[in-house]
Amino acid sequence: MSSEKHLHPVAMLVGAISTVRRWVGGLVFPGILLLLSQGFNLRTVALFLLVVLVVAMLAALWGFLTWRATTYAVTRNSFRLKQGVLQKNERTIPLDHVQSVDTVQGIIQRAFGVVEVRIETAGGGASEPDASLSALGRETAQALRLEIEGSQRGRSEEAKGPTILRRLSTRELLVAGATSGQIGVAFSVLAVGSQFLDDFLSESYFRRLVEALSPNWFMVVLLLVPAGLLLAWLLAIAGTVLAYNGFTLSREGNFLYIKRGLLERREATIPLARIQAIRVSEGVLRQPFGLAAVRVESAGYGEDAGVSTMLFPLLPRDEVDEFLAMAASEFGVNPHLEPLPRRALRRYVFRAVFGYLIIALAAALVSFFVFQSARGLHALFLVPPAAAYGWLCYRDAGWAFEGDRLVVRYRSLGRKTAVAPRRRLQSRGVMRSPFQRRARLATFFAEVASGSGGSALRVTDLDAAAAEMLAGNLGPGTHLKRA
Amino acid sequence: MKGEPAERLDPRAKTLWRISGALNVLLLLIGASVANWALIRFGDISILVAVLPVLTVLVLGVVVVWVAPGLRWRRWRYEIRPDEVDLQRGIFWIERTLVPLARIQHVDTRQGPLQRRYGLSTVVFYTAAGPNHIPELSTPVAAEVRDRIAALTTEQDEL
Repeated sequence: MSSEKHLHPVAMLVGAISTVRRWVGGLVFPGILLLLSQGFNLRTVALFLLVVLVVAMLAALWGFLTWRATTYAVTRNSFRLKQGVLQKNERTIPLDHVQSVDTVQGIIQRAFGVVEVRIETAGGGASEPDASLSALGRETAQALRLEIEGSQRGRSEEAKGPTILRRLSTRELLVAGATSGQIGVAFSVLAVGSQFLDDFLSESYFRRLVEALSPNWFMVVLLLVPAGLLLAWLLAIAGTVLAYNGFTLSREGNFLYIKRGLLERREATIPLARIQAIRVSEGVLRQPFGLAAVRVESAGYGEDAGVSTMLFPLLPRDEVDEFLAMAASEFGVNPHLEPLPRRALRRYVFRAVFGYLIIALAAALVSFFVFQSARGLHALFLVPPAAAYGWLCYRDAGWAFEGDRLVVRYRSLGRKTAVAPRRRLQSRGVMRSPFQRRARLATFFAEVASGSGGSALRVTDLDAAAAEMLAGNLGPGTHLKRA
Repeated sequence: MKGEPAERLDPRAKTLWRISGALNVLLLLIGASVANWALIRFGDISILVAVLPVLTVLVLGVVVVWVAPGLRWRRWRYEIRPDEVDLQRGIFWIERTLVPLARIQHVDTRQGPLQRRYGLSTVVFYTAAGPNHIPELSTPVAAEVRDRIAALTTEQDEL
């Protein structure tokens, strides 16, 4: 099949709408100005409608021309895309450079039952796909995908369809939202929203409101804070539902397929050979319930979350091993983790507390000298919780090197476990500060490729000899020595 | 892990670091002088406190220009082994990095204007996780290191 093919006609609509979207920014302001300055008489409204009509027609024409100019073809060993109405552009991607073929379904595509196909290569930038076909029929897209991936895949596997490994139930989806801990993100959305409100409500109105409420400010705070928290929490749940509704992970041969999304259906392909590391993260709200999420880090993969892709958003911690054995067996290990030496505890607690001690000291000094009071010492109340956090970090940290895989567990708020096979480690090393040298401790790190750059697996304050042993044993030629 | 890597950087590195450090400190010094002038002119504080910014920068300058380059040079070592590149660096935090040759994708040498003046070059080699540098080798040595790494990488077969 080497004939030049056009996209599905819906591509015209998609092109037209994206053109309108680009123009609207420039048109809104003069439009509103016009309406405001002239008032709502018949002439301005008619003029306004005329402009809208002209814009719509131009956009439709542009959409048609774009569609006519866009053709693609798969030849024996490359994918070719021709684009551009005024400036012709032709791109050829060798098939064995293709990293993934993803399909995304925006709202327009969904309404017409077509999909957008995105083709990514290993060297491509993180934000833009290397080639994007804005509308293709489902069957055409599937055929194209098979054609492109067929060159990388054995023939025998093509016959059977992908088997579903796990599907996120509605209950799990809601639990995932409720425990996502993305309240912070939701809060920032709220803050932006309130900024927006500020622009609409005049300042005097706001001042009157404050004056009316100020006698009861305590009650107001008592009501507002929980209300804000609740709203943020609901927003976090809504965000999760939007992103992960109907999350399905399936596998066919050496490819994993992910489908997800409520309004925008997203489909992604992860070739197993590209996975560099896996991180199992047990969030603060999830760990008490024995729940975890699994992410993969794959080399230069797509625009999805930049460096890592969600492999599965919520599953019980004790089913993770079984899950990984099915999905990516190279990473499915649950070895006994080597804890850190006892003498590392002091450093962990000190590191957690240090920042707060400085803050407390600064606050105390400022309050002594500027306000002549000892209030600043209250900041010391932050120290015990910080120390407890340091102790938790110490207790959760651990490492193992088993079955040719490096396993590292650490805590940064939530507890995370990272697994990377030895052959995926791009570099590794040992770092020592003078304090660590005195305590015969060291920091071990190993880098894996991920997204646009690297991402490190790190063990802080393990025994110096063990760190050296790890760095030596994880080398290329050396054969496994037992820890 | 084996003992320290064998090779050192070119001794001229120290001079180069002193000069580039001095240039950076000079920029900082200009900023600090402006802050100082503003403090004395508009601030209502004793002269001892007001000169703090310039004093701090001067102390920093002594460290950056006189103390740090020597320590840094003494610590910086590298070695190209048959199967991996071994790097050691750091003044306070000593870092030892091992990069398997099989993971190296390509190697460059590069030379800044100041480096050109002293006949020094930097070797940069890239893995999928990003670049690693061996700075301030004399230009012929840098070329040799680059070629050696390139030759060894092609000999290795991918895992």
